[in-house]
Amino acid sequence: MGLFKDSETFEKVLGGFFGLVGETPEVAEKLLASKLVIRFTYTDPDVVLVVDCSGDEIRVIPGDTEMKAEVNMWMSSDIAHKFWFGKVNLTAALTRGQMKAKGPIPQILKLLPAIKPTYAMYPRYLEEYGFGEYNIY
Amino acid sequence: MHGYAGKILSVDLTSNTIETSPLDSDFARRNIGGIGFAANVYFDLIKDNPRFDALDPDNPFVIMTGPLAGIKLNGVARWVCATKSPLTGFWADANIGGHFGAHLKFAGYDGIVITGSAPKPTYLFIENDRVELRSAEKYWGKDVYVTTDEMIADLSDKSNGSAQVFAIGPAGENLVRFASIANDKSHFAGRAGMGAVLGSKKLKAVFVRGTGGIDIAHPDRLETLNDKLKDAYDESIFIEAVRNFGTVTYMDVGIISGDIPMKNWQQTEWEDFDAIGPLAYEEKILTGRKTCYGCGIACKREAEVKEGPFRFPNGPGPEYETVAAFGSMCLNSDMESIGKLNDICNRYGMDTVSCGSTVAFAIECFERGLISEEDTGGISLTWRNAEAIVTLTEKIGKREGFGAILAEGSEQAANRIGGKASDFLTTVKGLEAAMHDPRSYHSFGLAYAVSPRGACHTESPIFPIQSGGLYFPDIPELADEQIAMDSMGKAPFIIACQDFGTFLTGCAVFCNLGISPLNASQAVEIVNHVTGFDYTIDEVTDIGKRIWYLQRGLSNLFGARDVDDRLPKRLMTPLEEGPSAGSVPDMDLMLKEYYALRNFTGEGIPEKGVLIKLDLPELAELLYKGG
Repeated sequence: MGLFKDSETFEKVLGGFFGLVGETPEVAEKLLASKLVIRFTYTDPDVVLVVDCSGDEIRVIPGDTEMKAEVNMWMSSDIAHKFWFGKVNLTAALTRGQMKAKGPIPQILKLLPAIKPTYAMYPRYLEEYGFGEYNIY
Repeated sequence: MHGYAGKILSVDLTSNTIETSPLDSDFARRNIGGIGFAANVYFDLIKDNPRFDALDPDNPFVIMTGPLAGIKLNGVARWVCATKSPLTGFWADANIGGHFGAHLKFAGYDGIVITGSAPKPTYLFIENDRVELRSAEKYWGKDVYVTTDEMIADLSDKSNGSAQVFAIGPAGENLVRFASIANDKSHFAGRAGMGAVLGSKKLKAVFVRGTGGIDIAHPDRLETLNDKLKDAYDESIFIEAVRNFGTVTYMDVGIISGDIPMKNWQQTEWEDFDAIGPLAYEEKILTGRKTCYGCGIACKREAEVKEGPFRFPNGPGPEYETVAAFGSMCLNSDMESIGKLNDICNRYGMDTVSCGSTVAFAIECFERGLISEEDTGGISLTWRNAEAIVTLTEKIGKREGFGAILAEGSEQAANRIGGKASDFLTTVKGLEAAMHDPRSYHSFGLAYAVSPRGACHTESPIFPIQSGGLYFPDIPELADEQIAMDSMGKAPFIIACQDFGTFLTGCAVFCNLGISPLNASQAVEIVNHVTGFDYTIDEVTDIGKRIWYLQRGLSNLFGARDVDDRLPKRLMTPLEEGPSAGSVPDMDLMLKEYYALRNFTGEGIPEKGVLIKLDLPELAELLYKGG
């Protein structure tokens, strides 16, 4: 049993956060420059979120399993939640199979510096948007 | 013998004699190769008289390959050097990539044992059975790149195979205590000042050309395993990361956990950080990629700056450790200057970790008023001052002015500077810490403290295992993910890393980057397929344990005690901000557990009983003379 009680809650938490990231210019500009479409497939509870950076603004599309994505990432909802606190050893998670990634690896890696500021944003977001009970790391 | 060349070359520079001896198959089976060979050979040479200075002719210098060097496979091109360190005064070994190890075996030798000291500059010429000591007057005083190019041009016979050079630069000749030795201009025996040992022996270089090959016991099995591993390599994001960005890819990962030291270990966050990250590297200095013998990963970078104050010609580019040491450690956000500093260190033959750390230490002394421009010869040694760092680094290589003080290493420099300078040191056993912060991973603190050679990140694969690059689910002590900022239970983890790791990267001499997709069983299988031996994980771990104790014992023989197993004040000072804010390793807790599990006395020496049990009776005898 994961930390989040159901898919709807996790989709609200992370989808909302991705939306906020998309409205944060210092991060959004770099993500948009990548032109990537990234599909995150989460398990326990199961959620799919597509982050589309191919246009003029970042779109977050829940539940879309059809749209063509250059990058696909799979992980548990708990690992994803911990990741956005900056508390997941990314290399270890990938080596140990806790996260899987498919797509142009160099382009994925280029996103790492871009998302650095979001680790500080996530706990603040949880508190401010009524998800304080999940602010655990 | 499968996997081995079958001969060891012994060269005495004092008497100008060269001998070859057959590699004993029982010795090979018992010690595997690399550091297993080097530590045993070195101990045999010094056991009757273990008291000498590292720069005396009595200090042997040993080069050894393992059974895998010369095989065309990812991550097996490495080989080792071993000696007593002129920087620390303790045991030192280095693990080097490149092509020299493979070519030494093609020439017919598993290793070279160098003793004595030549009366004048000399180089060792090896071409299969033809081995000669020759005058190096022509090359003495020349930098590593020029020496390598000229020697290859002077001596190569293109119809008779390619040649390799392993050379020191002016820093080694000038006995800079962190001088390095270079193969092919870009692969270094970097840490602990081995270049100064060759400099003291007046040995400028070893030139090798070989036309033989390596006999593999079970080539079909090796090929089958290699085919099986192809998918794992193709799917490994770690391999893809080092392939695409080199080791500097770690800048974007290490920053998240607070592992990258900044401003001489005073912070782990910095607004200019991205200016020296992998993308800036790619944009500003990257020109190409290179690789070690037989390895398809190609993690080495080529770099160039065509114009401006930091211009340098196309050549080997900086690694992660160099970018951190001359970049974040000095708050230097000029990527081009870091490329230039790498070029200077490579040409002079200096360890970039110790050199960059020593410069950062000197900057702090300057900023805090312990030294002035009068001391530095007019250099305004301030944070962010790329020009000053470049000027000072050249002076260190030349042992000129204030550079001569820093050329002794930061600990000796702190003694000279006095006052609170020692508070700014980042050394363990006299070796400047590698660019990984024990406040972000407590296990690194224990690893630095108990390493026979000081605060080095490659003494065992602790760093790639803890930070996720290596994963061994088939070794229980290494299977569980370690909590980063927690000191509980770290001793068994470190011991397993050291024991299996001494086999892995020390004796078999695997590359801890290039074998990321392998598990422990597959690594052992590779050694078995090449040698025809039938090692198990348990057996190689036992061999690794014995060799680790031998290295620890050598440092003990040279005077290392429990007081040397400590982190400096700077690394034990909690940071106020950043991912590791407030965290310091509990060294007392970890050391207590470690000493008990390793059967160390309170003085940090392995108990006699454990050495006897490990079949190291002569070491036990020497350490417990008179009782």
